[in-house]
Amino acid sequence: MGETVLKDSPIGARVPMIDSVDKVTGKGIYTDDMAPPGTLTGRILHSPHAHARILSIDTSVAERLPGVKAVVTGRETPVKYGILPIGHDETIFATDKVRYVGDNVAGVAAESPEIAEEALRLIRVEYEVLPAWFDPEKSMLAESNLIHEDKPHNIEKDYHHHFGDVVKGFEAADYIREDRFFCPEVTHAALEPHSTLAEYYPEADAITVWSSTQVPYYLKLNLASTLQMPEEKVRVIKPLVGGGFGGKSEVIPLELAAAVLARKALLPVKITYSREEVFYAHRGRPGQIVELRTGITREGRLTAVEARIIQDGGAYCSYGVVTILYSGQLLNAMYEIPNVKFDGYRVLTNKPACGAMRGHGTVNTRFAFEQQLNRMASVLGIDPVEIRRRNLLKAPCITVNGLRVLSYGFPECLDKVEERSGWREKHGKLPYGKGIGIAGSHYVSGAANAIIRSGAPHTTVNLSIDRDGVVTIFTGASEIGQGSDTLQVQVVAAELGVDLDRVKIVAADTARTPIDLGSYSSRVTFMAGNAAIAAARDAKGKVLAAAAVKMATNPENLAIEGNQVMCLDDRRIAMPFEDAVRLAAGDGQTLEATGSYRPPDAATGGKFKGGGVGPSPAYSYCAQTAEVTVDPETGQVTVDRLIAAHDCGKAINPICVEGQVIGSVWMGLGQAVQEEMMWRDGRLMNPGLLEYRSASTLESPPIEAIIVESNDPEGPFGAKEAGEGSLAATIPAVTQAIYDAVGVWIDTLPITPEKILKAIAEKKKSETQVIKTEN
Amino acid sequence: MSLPSFNVLRPRTVEEALAAFERHGADAQMIAGGTDLLPSMKQGLFSPRVLLDLKGLGDLDFIRFDPERGLEIGALTTISALAGSPVIAREFPVLREAAKSVASPPLRNMGTLGGNVCLDTRCLYYNQSGFWRGSLGGCIKKDGTVCHVAPGSDTCWAVFSGDTAPALLALEAVVELAGPRGRREIPLAGLYVNDGLVRLTKATDEIVTAVRVPAANAGWSGAYRKLRIRQSIDYPLAGVAVVMRKGADGVCEAARIGLTAVNPGPRLVPAAGLLSGHSYSAGLAEEVAREATKVGKPLKTSASTMEYRRQMIQVFVRRAIADLWRGAN
Amino acid sequence: MQINGQRRALEIEPNRLLLDVLRQDLGLTGTKCGCDDSSCGACTVLVNGQPQMSCIMLAVSYQDAEITTIEGVAPNDGDEAELDPLQKGFMVEGGAQCGFCTPGMILTAKHLLAVNPDPSEQEIADALSGNLCRCTGYMQIYASVRKAVELMRERRPVEVAPR
Repeated sequence: MGETVLKDSPIGARVPMIDSVDKVTGKGIYTDDMAPPGTLTGRILHSPHAHARILSIDTSVAERLPGVKAVVTGRETPVKYGILPIGHDETIFATDKVRYVGDNVAGVAAESPEIAEEALRLIRVEYEVLPAWFDPEKSMLAESNLIHEDKPHNIEKDYHHHFGDVVKGFEAADYIREDRFFCPEVTHAALEPHSTLAEYYPEADAITVWSSTQVPYYLKLNLASTLQMPEEKVRVIKPLVGGGFGGKSEVIPLELAAAVLARKALLPVKITYSREEVFYAHRGRPGQIVELRTGITREGRLTAVEARIIQDGGAYCSYGVVTILYSGQLLNAMYEIPNVKFDGYRVLTNKPACGAMRGHGTVNTRFAFEQQLNRMASVLGIDPVEIRRRNLLKAPCITVNGLRVLSYGFPECLDKVEERSGWREKHGKLPYGKGIGIAGSHYVSGAANAIIRSGAPHTTVNLSIDRDGVVTIFTGASEIGQGSDTLQVQVVAAELGVDLDRVKIVAADTARTPIDLGSYSSRVTFMAGNAAIAAARDAKGKVLAAAAVKMATNPENLAIEGNQVMCLDDRRIAMPFEDAVRLAAGDGQTLEATGSYRPPDAATGGKFKGGGVGPSPAYSYCAQTAEVTVDPETGQVTVDRLIAAHDCGKAINPICVEGQVIGSVWMGLGQAVQEEMMWRDGRLMNPGLLEYRSASTLESPPIEAIIVESNDPEGPFGAKEAGEGSLAATIPAVTQAIYDAVGVWIDTLPITPEKILKAIAEKKKSETQVIKTEN
Repeated sequence: MSLPSFNVLRPRTVEEALAAFERHGADAQMIAGGTDLLPSMKQGLFSPRVLLDLKGLGDLDFIRFDPERGLEIGALTTISALAGSPVIAREFPVLREAAKSVASPPLRNMGTLGGNVCLDTRCLYYNQSGFWRGSLGGCIKKDGTVCHVAPGSDTCWAVFSGDTAPALLALEAVVELAGPRGRREIPLAGLYVNDGLVRLTKATDEIVTAVRVPAANAGWSGAYRKLRIRQSIDYPLAGVAVVMRKGADGVCEAARIGLTAVNPGPRLVPAAGLLSGHSYSAGLAEEVAREATKVGKPLKTSASTMEYRRQMIQVFVRRAIADLWRGAN
Repeated sequence: MQINGQRRALEIEPNRLLLDVLRQDLGLTGTKCGCDDSSCGACTVLVNGQPQMSCIMLAVSYQDAEITTIEGVAPNDGDEAELDPLQKGFMVEGGAQCGFCTPGMILTAKHLLAVNPDPSEQEIADALSGNLCRCTGYMQIYASVRKAVELMRERRPVEVAPR
């Protein structure tokens, strides 16, 4: 780990993703592309009410419709589940109440989509409509009509942290700012709608589920618990996944629905969500109110931060407890802040459940913090780049809330964007209507503590090396387009000293591959990468030990380079890799090796309540500049250029790192300027890609990624995460650029033109008043 | 989201199409590019038993210009063809700009001028799935009695959201309709009814066959300004088409302004006439722009806010007037 | 129906969408469904060479058309050595992340390069503006198309005499 990379190593090489041939030819198979003979269409009946008690469900007419093979309601699916052990509050189909428009009431499997949809129309449900809660600040005052009876005041969970002493911290401050920020809900909008195919084998009482998931292992566990089947009877296979961004990082209702229908129908059942259903399954970034108070000295040193955060979580827990904790915990580990207080409330409302979305929990808080820091810099007359330099962490360090930071490339990120953007020539110096802004952000390289606490490894990678020297990786890690498979192939090839095309991969099939917790919290590069290195080292040790005997030397004197095992003291003495493999494996055998990764105890954080969320073995860092043009008459913002310098530790594959960084920045920009889930009375007004406006090419600006390599001491070849950490900085960089352009701060997302116009008008009004007063 | 069952007829001539209408009556609905109708059919907004696929009427796909007789465009001409036509670019720039802004390139390759002119009115409470609408008991335009945008109103306020219509209105276009009682020509302005439900004066069994623009309006400078959140794949939240004929001395000889996406029908702004006979005046441009906001009445049918959409009509009209008035030609 | 250069005889219900016929009846699953309502472009196919959206096309209405899907872009059934320059471009420049928009992007770009073999970045952006991508922010897609232009240029014999 953290070692120098050989010259011809595939580490750092721009290797095309190994599955890209399948993707460019259309041959790659995604879940919805599969249809074994006899596959039935599954469809789900959704609740038309935001909050209602189910009085009765009559499925008899639907069941009699020719072509209908199975109908299932909540009566048959009483087991509660949820991604978090402390958040088991969902059932496959509603048992007593429905809690949002779109909640799952019943499932149908039929011979065709038309029949399945007709059957849904024939299900009669009697509801008693209940008062519903849509506004989190009102919901948390609720005394009656609770969304879940066991959650008083509709508060899913609240946390109250205090590190250092904020009272003293604020006393030491020369300037204290208080602001209130609001970030509405946004969603992943991965291009592939969720899809699940399930097939039940009655003779074995076993089930196989193919699904568009980021977390095959957790899906397997939840299938076993909700179907009440032994884990070993459940197999989950992840085909290609058309984008996740967190939206497929927990068990989604259709996955369990397809399975329960398949078991009842005794035929394969496939459910593919309509785009509208994807919006109801949601699990996106919650709407968030951030009340932030920060103290700073005249010299620009942060003395204290106090945050009160309310998250509009929707009707179920989902990842909510983790989301609210990330929002507080990751106020830290970016800058040196001695005193931090956090009050966080995850509130239930009668809307689809919010969950993990790229930058999980950190994005809205980071926007608030960076914006406030920029505002304070402007009041104090300190350059925004400089104010960040004055508050850098002194890594390696442990933050006040127990986060261990070993590598910290943020200072270099700042230098890089300052230089590339021409910051010094531009900031504060551009003509009215043009502006530049800067902000920073960070993210975990995997959670140091697993969702389900145990001493088990977070990931295991097995290798099987055939007699011809072909290496097959067996990994549970989930490729979702980010390059997971390619990365592991590169790492193993590098460590074993063999060509990339000798290394094959079998991934994400719970019957064939060892446990990996999944593709979430940016954990794959760090954790599966380290496990792959460990497995390759295990294999290498065996190969070199066998070769050493044959070559009459000791293993320490051997290395593998270019598919050859060679003596370090005399490179002319060499043996082909496959010959050494044969020696190591013995007659007729394949060589097996394994490696695992579990974060070190030192990285697992503080021992306080909620202290388990936030710790990571390593953090990525990003500094970002945005340049904008604002039309002061229309309020239209044109983003002219975005530059993100991202500290990914080491870019194992720069194509993938750049793709991840640019993609993150772009997604952050979407949240900044044009994406929003529009609610009216608990009803989602834009459940489709026409009205939920993910950016087209035309308003997508040039985005430049600069790779900064801090070589994390524990990362695989020094690598850290690249897929999420640069998202959050985009939003405050853009708002600051707008301030630089037209002198107004926008605290409510998205930054629509009408908000800018309103702010400009208010500014003019107050300036006129000032002039009048002065006169 | 499955489509209901229906039959598809593919007439080869307008007469065949009309005969089919006569046979199937209210069961039949026409389809050309399908970009408006098919998404709506998936949402259960329409369920005709018979679809008359007009794409086979090859003789309605043409763009002809004659300096004497003006411009004639067949109703089945695609939006892409309009946007790419050199003669339209030269003689009717406002129409080219409007066409280029429609939806997205693949949709412009499919959608036709006839369809764009006859676009169904749109509303956030109407263009939703059957499930969504059902959860609210429908609306005045479909399956219900209440207008959720203007509760208490007894008419539908869904907005007309076509881009080419305001440009064509400003160019004083006329449409040719073929029906069971023969062909007739009406001013485009006369095609629309300012009611989101009734929408058009055209009978359901009448086919728009062509759109014509008088030769007198060729060569006018023109501009189309479209308010949208996404710069592609988006309907207008407000659209402004301005055309102007200027004398060599820079005097505005005539101007017309069309608005879209702020009313149940596209509308002309009468105050455009105030510009005639004047040299450039910022004040006059502003006055006309202010008058335009009295014609456009945006409601909560679309994204953004009513206030902002109204405000942008004013800015867009003023700017377009100024650009054209002070511009090179 | 003429699909990828082959004449296919099919019996299709009038309410079937071309997208479903391609995916379900013909097994051409490279064409994707992303949104149901023609907003995303994942279902783009070429109809007589022009990009159109198969999720809102009634299959029966296109009996006489020449349809090209992603499976028809590479000669010889997608042997890697004979990929289309666009396919190679998308591979080496990272234009395909999750890959779900990729078929539509490549087909749309195929049409662009057929009518404009050396497009500017703005022309690429204009042409692809009906295809949404959620992974790349489009930057690597532009690079992929430009790479294809480069590959095509290398492949094209140099013209010595004016025509």
